Amino acid sequence: MRCLVIIPAYNEEENIVRVVENLQTNYPMYDYVVINDGSSDDTARICRKRGYELVDLPVNLGLAGAFQTGLKYAYRKGYDYAIQFDADGQHRAEYIGPMLEKIKEGYDIVIGSRFVTEKKPHSMRMIGSRLIAVATRLTTGKKVKDPTSGMRMFNKKMIAEFALNLNYGPEPDTISYLLKQGATIAEVQVQMDERIAGESYLNVTKSMMYMLRMLLSILFIQNFRKRREVKVR
Amino acid sequence: MSPIFRVILIVVSLLTTFYILKKIRQSKLQIEYAIFWILFAGVLIVFSLFPWLVSMFTRLIGMQLPVNFIFMFFIFVLLVKMFLMTIELSALENKVKDLTQELALEEKERADELKSQREAENGSAGDGCIHN
Repeated sequence: MRCLVIIPAYNEEENIVRVVENLQTNYPMYDYVVINDGSSDDTARICRKRGYELVDLPVNLGLAGAFQTGLKYAYRKGYDYAIQFDADGQHRAEYIGPMLEKIKEGYDIVIGSRFVTEKKPHSMRMIGSRLIAVATRLTTGKKVKDPTSGMRMFNKKMIAEFALNLNYGPEPDTISYLLKQGATIAEVQVQMDERIAGESYLNVTKSMMYMLRMLLSILFIQNFRKRREVKVR
Repeated sequence: MSPIFRVILIVVSLLTTFYILKKIRQSKLQIEYAIFWILFAGVLIVFSLFPWLVSMFTRLIGMQLPVNFIFMFFIFVLLVKMFLMTIELSALENKVKDLTQELALEEKERADELKSQREAENGSAGDGCIHN
């Protein structure tokens, strides 16, 4: 049972060393790959100098494209499981183990969720998360407690499906779509850290656009999509 | 607005929506791009179902005919969209250029490496010959 940790990195020169060193020293049982998403800073050079496993994209593809690159790599190499892991240090590697245990029970996707046993705080940031959860519930009838969590683990079938298709971004609308199509999804309680260095991608305007896109996509567009099954080789 | 114009608007907006959804279904369109067109079709439908909205806006900005407001509104929206698409097109062309150059340069570097390796091997072999 092989598991690949996919680390998409865009301008993460301040964080990448800490994240990868931690994985290498404390969790050598997992393979990892850094996907440098055409960073304009020194991310790729640092990785190459230190001999990290690196796929270096020559142009910026955005998170969806970068993560899909990692999944294509996992697909080609025949990995059984793959997990999306942030390069900014928000995700903690100690939770990969429990998530792996869970997915081995036969789930398609396991989400590293902040709100399984913990309560969701009533902050501005969580309004979006709540709206997306409600939209997902409305269209699929199923509860996802932390739909915006970026820490998601996929099994072999999902790796193939995500690697080979269009409109499979690592976002809540894809999760909602797959739930509707009958994929099995579980959540495992995790803790996340605040990013330590660098800047977050989301500002107010971008958050609004993101919410509009997600809600329209979950409530409307995903209902019309046809699923193309992918053969696992 | 005349009833016929309203019917045309409704039919056109519904057809647009169905066409967009069909393309999404066939996985030919990214959702990011579909969002604009679905909102666009939505506005078309709203305008055709509630013409008083159009009349209100027409009066608000002091235009003569609601039809003119509709023309102006959509021309403006499409103009902005076209400009944004030009920006996206430029970015895309730039990416393709970068990508092509990157591939070609990589290829050349690999060829250079192979060549210098072979020369090094031949060179040492040739050396041996002369001295013998």
